[in-house]
Amino acid sequence: MSDENSRKTWVHPWSYREGTIVTVAILLLGFALQAAGGGMVLRVAGFPWNLISGIVFLGILVTFYFWLKKHPAVKWLGGVKAALPAILGFTFLVLLMGFVKQDVVHQNNLVRILGLSHLVQTWPFILINLYLMVLLGIVTLKRLTPFTRRNVGFFLNHFGLFLALFSTARGSSDVQTLNMNCYENQSEWRASDRRGNIVELPLAIKLLDFTIDEFRPKVTIIDNKTGKILMGKNRQSFELLDRDTFVFFEYHLEVDTFLATSGKVGESYFAVNEPGSAPSARVKVTNSLDGTVTSGWICSGSFVLQPEALKLNDHHSLVMLPAEPKKFSSEVSVLTKDGTSRNLTIEVNKPIMINGWTIYQLSYNEEMGRWSDMSVLQLVRDPWLPAVYSGIFLMMAGAVFLFIFGKPKNGGVENVA
Amino acid sequence: MEELKMWLNFPVFASFAIVLWLAATGLFLFSASKMLNRLAAGLSVTGTAILLVFVIMLWISIDRPPMRTLGETRLWYAIFLSGIGLVSYLRWKYKWLVCYSLTLAVMFLSVNLNHPETYDKTLMPALQSPWFVPHVIVYIFAYALLGASSLVAIRNLFVKQSGKAISGPVSMADNLVYLGFSFLTLGLLFGALWAKEAWGHYWTWDPKETWAFITWMFYLVYIHYRFRNPLAHNKAMMILAASFVILLICWFGVNYLPSAQNSVHVYTE
Repeated sequence: MSDENSRKTWVHPWSYREGTIVTVAILLLGFALQAAGGGMVLRVAGFPWNLISGIVFLGILVTFYFWLKKHPAVKWLGGVKAALPAILGFTFLVLLMGFVKQDVVHQNNLVRILGLSHLVQTWPFILINLYLMVLLGIVTLKRLTPFTRRNVGFFLNHFGLFLALFSTARGSSDVQTLNMNCYENQSEWRASDRRGNIVELPLAIKLLDFTIDEFRPKVTIIDNKTGKILMGKNRQSFELLDRDTFVFFEYHLEVDTFLATSGKVGESYFAVNEPGSAPSARVKVTNSLDGTVTSGWICSGSFVLQPEALKLNDHHSLVMLPAEPKKFSSEVSVLTKDGTSRNLTIEVNKPIMINGWTIYQLSYNEEMGRWSDMSVLQLVRDPWLPAVYSGIFLMMAGAVFLFIFGKPKNGGVENVA
Repeated sequence: MEELKMWLNFPVFASFAIVLWLAATGLFLFSASKMLNRLAAGLSVTGTAILLVFVIMLWISIDRPPMRTLGETRLWYAIFLSGIGLVSYLRWKYKWLVCYSLTLAVMFLSVNLNHPETYDKTLMPALQSPWFVPHVIVYIFAYALLGASSLVAIRNLFVKQSGKAISGPVSMADNLVYLGFSFLTLGLLFGALWAKEAWGHYWTWDPKETWAFITWMFYLVYIHYRFRNPLAHNKAMMILAASFVILLICWFGVNYLPSAQNSVHVYTE
């Protein structure tokens, strides 16, 4: 350590000092390039250029390593003293992302020019990523031999991260994310990308049926004057209508009738099952403070029905809220170019995969709720996914390795540049 | 009525756990005899078991995993922290760590006693996934291990100032961090795989993801620094203490950041 203090900068062996200088220089260069470009959004070139540049990068990295691996600078690149400042530099950028809201238009000039609102697509982010990739690549090559238990864990963690970062960065421009609005009993093969461009797909989707299961609706009590929901310390402000009696603030509620789908005729509600029918309930409310009893209907309303509240007294009313979806799914028939057609069900958390596309249940016509005859599907194509997943699984294995074997003995005194 | 009744029972269960844990802490602190230490360990594990029973009953009564609200995550944290404190006592015989962990667990339960949150039964479709339970449990377990490691770090910083040698406790911090970090990594990657299933992409820089990644990077810094500079204890312990601050921002703080509104990770109230 005493040698370190008297050593002149750039005299080998390099240390944290050089690591910090290089990292800061990369960040400054990145922000300078970003500012020079007027804060533009960068996009990595798509196929095949991302693949070609990736192969060239790997080729240069491997050649460079085996040619110069004895050089003290290369040893330094494969060590903690270069890696730590680089990790901190990257962390600094991610911290900026943690505080500055991303993907929205900011008025602040500094935010705009430096690209702080879309950091992932800026020069500093891309350059520091590239630098980390070089470091991870070199350290992986360096620790490939000897083939010991410790080096296996090391390889899993470092190469796994390398692979995940590398293929995410390379593949980012090949990811296609399209939204498709499907109407019941109509075939659709056009979808729109994020910028609203229409894309024609090599497959057609016919929505056979869209269904929603709902939770029972919730009820709440509002202040008649302000219209605000009543809040109390240590009290729930909402109650799920899934039982017959409950106590709610000073009120005792009894549910006489609950109709999951209903329509209004005159002053009463009746069970009907047609578009626009909504949940309703006939309730009896006893005020425990003065013993007054109020009864009547409440209804959450829909695009056809008016919501109906029950006025309890001068201060409070009982209100039924729209039911929340428990599950929604689309039954579809997918027709591919080779003429085969398959019937499948798509549900949230249960996407389907067909011809390289993963199809997700995204949304529906929320105004119509359970009566929606339209389902919004999302189609995603990510040809680099297997590489990313390989990286993720290597890292998982590495995490299990850390869990089992823990910290290497003797710290890092050996085996480090 | 079920979940409400269950929740009304909470003060009973929590009080039992708190009394047992405080008694265990007292015994650990003031007794030297082996018998009394065993009794303390027994009291501590009983407290944890009582809380675990409560959580299981709550789970059954609300018909969904109790992992959606901050209050619910605090329950799990109290369980894991008390458990980890005890296991590390049995393994390394550090009494002060089990005492700190139990005190912290008591604190978390007390917060829940003062702010019982609504235990909402509804769970949005995106969260209804087999990934939900492993993702949250692995994360909270990691948080508890890393929380314990920070207790070690803070203690070491004070002990260091009083001039005692600290290499033993530092290697204990390392053990906790390596365990905690492996769980943190798994939680992060489970989240990525789940996100791909639910939203179509494994990483979208959602504010919670961003902060989880920052937390992961800080512990990565600690591990690398310890690896390369095994003798610089003081700085390492400072990194560890700082990392825990980031972890807390990730866990609680993100809820209050304006950039995080509408994120699925903001625990509902």
